[in-house]
Amino acid sequence: MKVLMLGWEFPPFFAGGVGMVCYHLTRALCQQGTEVTYVMPFGPRMLRSDYMKILIADNIFPAMRFKLHEISSLLGVYSTPGSYEEDYRKYLASLPSDKRAKALYGPNIFQEVHMFAEKVKLIAQFEDFDVIHAHDHWTFPAAIAAKKASGKPMIVHVHITEFDKTGGAGVDQRVYDMEREGMHAADLVIVVSNRIKNQLVHHYGVPEGKIRVVYNAAEPADHNAYHDASKIKETDKIVLFVGRVTLQKGPDYFVEAARKVLDYDPNVKFILAGTGDMLPRMIERVAQLGMANKFIFPGFVSREEVSKLNKIADCFVMPSVSEPFGIVPLEAMAQDTPAIISKQSGVSEVLNHVLKVDFWDVNDIANKILAVLHYQALNHQLKQHGSLEVRSMTWDTPAHKCIEVYDELLRMKQGG
Amino acid sequence: MVSICFYFQVHQPFRLKKYSIFDIGHNSNYFDDNKNAEVMRKVAQKCYLPTNKVLLDLIRQHQGKFRVSFSISGVVLDQFTLFAPEVLHSFRELAKTGCVEFLDETYYHSLSYLYDKEEFKEQVLLHRQKIKDLFGQEPKVFRNTELVFNNELANFVQGMGFYKAIVAEGADHILGWRSPNFLYTPKTADNMKLLLKNYKLSDDIAFRFSNKGWAEHPLTVEKYGRWVNAANGNGNVINLFMDYETFGEHQWEDTGIFDFLRHLPSEILRHPDNDFVTVSEAAEKYNPVSELDMHNFISWADIERDLSAWLGNPMQDSAARELFALGRMIRETGDEKLIDDWRKLTTSDHLYYMCTKWFSDGDVHKYFNPYDTPYEGFIAFMNVLNDLKIRAKEVMQSQGRVESPILAQTPISRVLSEAPGSSMVLK
Repeated sequence: MKVLMLGWEFPPFFAGGVGMVCYHLTRALCQQGTEVTYVMPFGPRMLRSDYMKILIADNIFPAMRFKLHEISSLLGVYSTPGSYEEDYRKYLASLPSDKRAKALYGPNIFQEVHMFAEKVKLIAQFEDFDVIHAHDHWTFPAAIAAKKASGKPMIVHVHITEFDKTGGAGVDQRVYDMEREGMHAADLVIVVSNRIKNQLVHHYGVPEGKIRVVYNAAEPADHNAYHDASKIKETDKIVLFVGRVTLQKGPDYFVEAARKVLDYDPNVKFILAGTGDMLPRMIERVAQLGMANKFIFPGFVSREEVSKLNKIADCFVMPSVSEPFGIVPLEAMAQDTPAIISKQSGVSEVLNHVLKVDFWDVNDIANKILAVLHYQALNHQLKQHGSLEVRSMTWDTPAHKCIEVYDELLRMKQGG
Repeated sequence: MVSICFYFQVHQPFRLKKYSIFDIGHNSNYFDDNKNAEVMRKVAQKCYLPTNKVLLDLIRQHQGKFRVSFSISGVVLDQFTLFAPEVLHSFRELAKTGCVEFLDETYYHSLSYLYDKEEFKEQVLLHRQKIKDLFGQEPKVFRNTELVFNNELANFVQGMGFYKAIVAEGADHILGWRSPNFLYTPKTADNMKLLLKNYKLSDDIAFRFSNKGWAEHPLTVEKYGRWVNAANGNGNVINLFMDYETFGEHQWEDTGIFDFLRHLPSEILRHPDNDFVTVSEAAEKYNPVSELDMHNFISWADIERDLSAWLGNPMQDSAARELFALGRMIRETGDEKLIDDWRKLTTSDHLYYMCTKWFSDGDVHKYFNPYDTPYEGFIAFMNVLNDLKIRAKEVMQSQGRVESPILAQTPISRVLSEAPGSSMVLK
């Protein structure tokens, strides 16, 4: 089985979780005998993988052919057209004036998507593959182009939709159209949870029979992570939030629940790690509620730092308003930290050994935080069963499921 | 000669509300009346009323030859009174026929024997009084919660002086090559007769009846009659012990379970050697064939037939320990409401909801569990227990008693007493 896989990002050049998913998934696929050629729009010339072929479209078809200049991309899967334009303006302003003229890289994200599609169309003509597997919407036009050029069947893999990112308000019609076109052009659609499946059926009109749910797995935990937090822990327990500080992740519910926890138990510290447009508002709200000395805002944290935070935390909270999957609690659990997650997350469909809450129910979030911090037996059971549960969630399972979807697709094509 | 001994277990717990930490000190209504009423009305319609009707008809039809036994927990009797008085009425109708025997158990369907024998005794006496008041019988047979049993328990129950027989699970690891179709004597209770559940024939009805994957499906009365007759000559009594909710609730009406029940007695009685007996009648009619030594506790739950559905994980153990540690102190207050609330918490179902052995027995556990996870069950229970401790403390202070150190033990109550606003909580 040969797969032409299309993605926007790949570690270490990634903006969010989808790049990590692509990394783990492709590695497990290759271990199970699948040949993967991974195509991404931009990246350094030297980017190599020891198990698969990586093609960087921009390096194969450099500037002269497309009248483009090589620059690092500002693009991540989570960019919204609005923030991209803003980033682009900042980027231009940061360049010396002589280079500014050359950076004709398209201020419009849709232009880049289009360029990538054109390049992939050419790649599809000389690469040898059986199926096209495209991750999230920016690559969907490229997948459609590859399908047209090669006649090979196509799968789109949906990790997140425009509805999740915007909480349903302010859906960008152009993004929605691109997602929808890709889903309908695809022969089969892989989604990361039933939650996403329902969205595709109800908001995108995708026939239910065309959708396959493949849950993500856990990333191997860094068991060497260590941070000396003994000074804090002498007096206080630690409750942790990790994620982008945006509407989707529900940081405001974390803050409101913190106030309720502190009313009952003043010996708790809250760490709100991550950045995002809601961060200033959160800091303000924390001050307003008189909790400034109880909160730590480390800002952006690296993966390594996330491991350390998970290690020292006594309780992890993911109060996401809408989470297509939600891989972050898995790492907390792998570090023996009990997790409280919102029922509005895809990962809540697979996890048993966590506490589940409705994101809006701050009383219940606080109730459960206090229970985890004070009921030793509960704490112990969540740790013990949780870490076992996460350890059993390896990437072999989703890779195997993807291979089943490829096989199914080829049978469909042969039969039809 | 082979006798059929039916004993049906009837029980519903007082389920707890989703009681939050923020309710502690503010809300002493622990039980979810709406949910309990809803479950009771549903089960009454699907099971208790129609099955009682079938039994009453059968008893009349067979003119004394069809006889059954019940063990009905005190907490379900209370819920009949509260939510479905017509069910209580129909049980009293059955009692009047003279063909129905009632067994004793702990009023609160508790595991109190394991933690507090004094409490156990009181709960049994309460139950005894209730059965006398409602049905005019003085039970001669004892059954412990979930058929939890061992030598020592048999001896203790014998010492209470009321009982000539006790029922237990016919667990393979106890019986070995021996048959459950004979009576035995517990090693430490010479005057007690022990009746053991024939779990195979019981579970054919209770669990497998509607299972289409079972080789014997569909189960007809003719087939079942043949299995019963096969015991003739190498057994005295076939003990069919099961949850009463089997009829119409676990096995829905459309599985044909009521028709099966309706036609079973005449099928069994077609063989002239067969008859139906109540538990104490079986004990009178037959002699024990040997002594049985059961040192470790057995029960009728799960494949393990031990205590692991209720105890064994740290949540269950700590909940049970903290709960029963309050017993003596709560009883000493003499505060009826407080005592009754505490006793309702001793109902074994609360511990069952905290069970984490999901991987082999999960389906049954999940079906009976009002909580999404065992963790939720534990949190609600512990929150309630913490409120109960605060109440106990208040009552003891008002009675001028010395406060028990147990009350200061839980972290939550300590936190509460130090937290801002707690003066409101702990006046």
